[in-house]
Amino acid sequence: MSLKLDPRTKLYMIFVVSAVVMMSATTPFLWAVRIIMIPIFLLIMEKHYAAAFRFLIFYGTALLLTFKFLSENSEGFLSAFLVGYCGIIVQFMPAMITAWYVVRTTKIGEFVCAMQKMHIPDGITISLAVVMRFFPTIKEEYTAIRDAMKMRGIMLGGGNAAGMIEYRLIPLLFSCVNIGDELSAAAVTRGLGGKVKRTSVQELKMKAADYLLMLLFTAVLVVFVVSKYIR
Amino acid sequence: MNEKKLQAKDFITIGIFTALLFVVEFACGMLGFIHPYIVASYVVMIPIVGSIPMMLFYTKIEKFGMLSIMSVLLAIIMFVTGMGYLGAPLIIAAGVIADLIAKSGGYKSFRETVISYGVFCLWICANYFPVVVSADSYRKNLIDVGYSVEYCDNLFRAINSKTIAVLLVLCFVFGCVGALIGKAIVKKHFEKAGIV
Repeated sequence: MSLKLDPRTKLYMIFVVSAVVMMSATTPFLWAVRIIMIPIFLLIMEKHYAAAFRFLIFYGTALLLTFKFLSENSEGFLSAFLVGYCGIIVQFMPAMITAWYVVRTTKIGEFVCAMQKMHIPDGITISLAVVMRFFPTIKEEYTAIRDAMKMRGIMLGGGNAAGMIEYRLIPLLFSCVNIGDELSAAAVTRGLGGKVKRTSVQELKMKAADYLLMLLFTAVLVVFVVSKYIR
Repeated sequence: MNEKKLQAKDFITIGIFTALLFVVEFACGMLGFIHPYIVASYVVMIPIVGSIPMMLFYTKIEKFGMLSIMSVLLAIIMFVTGMGYLGAPLIIAAGVIADLIAKSGGYKSFRETVISYGVFCLWICANYFPVVVSADSYRKNLIDVGYSVEYCDNLFRAINSKTIAVLLVLCFVFGCVGALIGKAIVKKHFEKAGIV
């Protein structure tokens, strides 16, 4: 069984998680509240088992390292390095997992439809949809470029520092520009940017699960804020 | 294509270049956890590396609004990835002003493009905003989360309400320098290939 959530619920989730991520947790209770919010259970519901498992291990390790081995007195290069990375993982990972979940499980059509229902201007909707769709493409292209570089036997920058950036960024830009042209040709032939109002095949409707999740996330936000700032 | 309004094609271009710029920013950002001084040196790194996609983007701008929309998107992405909402007004303001400057040069003039990119780069400073505005609570937060005192001290020595002015100026200067480098690279690769 897979749970189909309304994109608006997902956007709300992103909003709440980002807000909470910015306020750091100080007590174990707050940590617990924060960990509950990570939508790993949602990933499992949507059958992204591998990703759920990966995130779980990754986050768990970072948490363990942060609490067990590192304190405010840690010094030296290696520990500063570790502290930095673990800190950042522990701090921002919930937001990243949520964003990953939303990007992976929302179809672009659904997303655009939801944005339209919330009366967001078309320009922002379309651009944002392209951004969402484009991250996996960039990753793919980048892998291809790295393979090509390996074939030619060029490691890092082939000797000069500027080359490190140039050899990677320029081919990436070339392919992205080409993909962009194809994408806009495809989109325009399908009527994007036409004068008529866009209709959608999918009917978006808030279901019980959506309201339940929204309620849960609101509750989490309230609990977090109250126990951090008021008590 | 001499209509004033933005077309679907323009929106797609904006989306692509925003994604590229964010990837550049993210890659540089990951280096920042090695040492806090690197966090401060974002003002040098990101304008210069980011100038390559941005200068290519500038060659595609013909109408008002493309830079502004890009800055709104950046603000949204910064929020979603947990960088905070404090910087959002600054990001959008930088975008709109950069857009106006570029417009006054007709989006083609060399000088206006360079200045406009310099202003646009000020969005990077928005990421420092939580550090400056709420210095005390931010510092406490960092220590609570598990950053070392050493890291925090260095961070606040590098970034505080006094140095932010310097950082802003540096950001602008290196934005202009980056624009020159970016222009040269775009000329070297893309104009030869006939893409621009």
